[in-house]
Amino acid sequence: MAIPAEITAELGDRIPERRIAYPNTESGREARCDATLAADAVVVGSGAGGAVAACLLAEAGLDVLILEEGSLHRTESFSTSVLEMMRALYRDFGASMILGTPGILFAEGRCVGGSTVINGGMCWRTPERILERWRRDERLPDIGSKEMEPVFAEVERELNPETQAPDTLGVHNRLFAEGARKLGWHPRDNLRNMRRCAGLNNCAFGCPTGAKQSSLVTYVPRGLRAGARLVADARVDRVVFSGAQAIGVCGRFLDADSRPSHRFQVRAPMTILAAGARHTPGILKRSRLRAHAIGRHLTVHPNAKVVGIFEEVVNPWWGTHQAHQIHDFLDQGILIGYAVPPPGILAGALPGIGEESAAIMSLYNHMFPVGCLIEDTSTGRVVLGPDRQPQMLYSLSRRDTETTQEGVAKVCELLFAAGAKRCLLPFADLAEIRSPDDVGRIRARRPEPRGIELMTVHIMGSARMALESSRGATDAFGRVFDVSGLYVADASLLPSPVGVNPQETIAALVTRNARRWLESDARRPGRSRARAS
Amino acid sequence: MSNVTLPRNLSSSSAAILAAVIDALRPRGHGFDQSIDEYVLLEIDRTLPCLPRLMRLGLPIGLRLLEWGPPLFAGRARRLTTLNRQEARAYLQGWLDSRMTARRLLVHGLRALVLLSFYQHPSVLDAMGVRWDRRLIETVRLRADTLDHAKYGYPR
Repeated sequence: MAIPAEITAELGDRIPERRIAYPNTESGREARCDATLAADAVVVGSGAGGAVAACLLAEAGLDVLILEEGSLHRTESFSTSVLEMMRALYRDFGASMILGTPGILFAEGRCVGGSTVINGGMCWRTPERILERWRRDERLPDIGSKEMEPVFAEVERELNPETQAPDTLGVHNRLFAEGARKLGWHPRDNLRNMRRCAGLNNCAFGCPTGAKQSSLVTYVPRGLRAGARLVADARVDRVVFSGAQAIGVCGRFLDADSRPSHRFQVRAPMTILAAGARHTPGILKRSRLRAHAIGRHLTVHPNAKVVGIFEEVVNPWWGTHQAHQIHDFLDQGILIGYAVPPPGILAGALPGIGEESAAIMSLYNHMFPVGCLIEDTSTGRVVLGPDRQPQMLYSLSRRDTETTQEGVAKVCELLFAAGAKRCLLPFADLAEIRSPDDVGRIRARRPEPRGIELMTVHIMGSARMALESSRGATDAFGRVFDVSGLYVADASLLPSPVGVNPQETIAALVTRNARRWLESDARRPGRSRARAS
Repeated sequence: MSNVTLPRNLSSSSAAILAAVIDALRPRGHGFDQSIDEYVLLEIDRTLPCLPRLMRLGLPIGLRLLEWGPPLFAGRARRLTTLNRQEARAYLQGWLDSRMTARRLLVHGLRALVLLSFYQHPSVLDAMGVRWDRRLIETVRLRADTLDHAKYGYPR
């Protein structure tokens, strides 16, 4: 449901995010004819990376045009109506599949603000060991923890990562921390980009309280205030070139049913792709760029879920989203966290139809879903399907399968330590265990990826940064190799998986890179306010 | 004048087959006997344009395969829409357990849509004691009442 009008009236203007203005914004739904636009820089996508790039370039005086395939949904339109929000905010209703063994369910945002509107708001700096790996193995410059420190600090001033207020914690939040401590682990208070989260746990369907500091309420309006323009409901098909110089993009406006309507073309000396690790390489490939590395090196940060069932009432819907994480096993490639989906989502991931589904879902208020995120070593590819849309191909290696099984075993240990009586597992051949003594059966399972149920919201690396074009699609600062005027500014850039939730890493890398573009690449802006003034 | 809302995206024949699928898959017992099959069907119909292209295009074909599949897959010379609930459920369970990926995925996908629409219905959430709507009002009010504007630098 949405917030009733009388409550909205009572709250007045005490929720700042409900007062945010989005100047210079248009929707492709209103297009009545084909259009040709021009800017100093066109940014394709408005998520964790695109919004940052657009904002920084606009603040530097460039005339920036943001093109976003999804619509603008403001904070005041967010509600707890799960189906409605999924239709409005998710690409493909969150039902995309990564093809391979096993098939992996993938969800991403498709709205102004991108996936930051529908993520849990986890906001961690890139671990030092990852930055060191990028510096040492990939030989990327200016990427050590010392060089990145001021960049992270700058991003954090905008996103405001903070820990959860105690008055918003529910039973499940407490169970997670208690279970971990009983095992001698160290639950860390989660850092999330928020300003006074009140614990609704509706993060995945838009934050109606305005607390989550997604791009929608931070970098996008900041960029618009600096003069950037935004066209929502505009899908980019490909980059346009003049020789080896990117000179803009072309695509189609979308109507109210997201069907393509009129065509548009944007002319701009800087073209920045920030459409996510699936669609950015898709656009590059549709633009007939043939570099070997485009679409390769895809990593997916797979996530395996265990549902603990407790005798006590957990009421998992009461209490904030993921107040803690376990980082004790990051060196083994395992991050443990939790997310409580609403009943309709969870039911689809649990077995049974008819009475069997009813029997298990009648226990919803006794359930606690906990998961492990795996820092994968497997890599996949983004390829164009017969319909010219990007498809993801990826199979879990034996090593990552073993890591996944170890992660699931650890999650079960935590849940049993917290008092769970049963654990529902993500394995077709081992669906449930009822005692800590059974955890060994998970570790003894043959490491066979088939039959593991995985999902992800963190794909990355498909146009990664590298020093040579044989190792990556972009240079050390996100410029696409072999062409000029074309840049990447999203999770595609990441040279390897980061082990933690990647939003801050993406924002920081784009900040680092955008500063470099401004120093060395940005042309004398033809129509910029900087020159006009 | 009738108040019946008709599906906008599904043809009448697809809707009839989907109605049989919903009747077979939807939860029953344990407090889940709400008469909301029509709502579930309309929600799936509204969701259809948002699904991945392949699913969107494949669904009408998949529904027809389900409809005409019993002779082939269940040894019954009847259509799905003429099976009784137990027979239909056993038939669909056969698809869920199939070794053919396409058959399995089709009914898995339909099952996910049916369960999502069913369990998110307000009357079902109410029966489960899940009060997310109440939390919405509580938390919006809590944040408005306790937000430290100075600490967070509002207005920004």
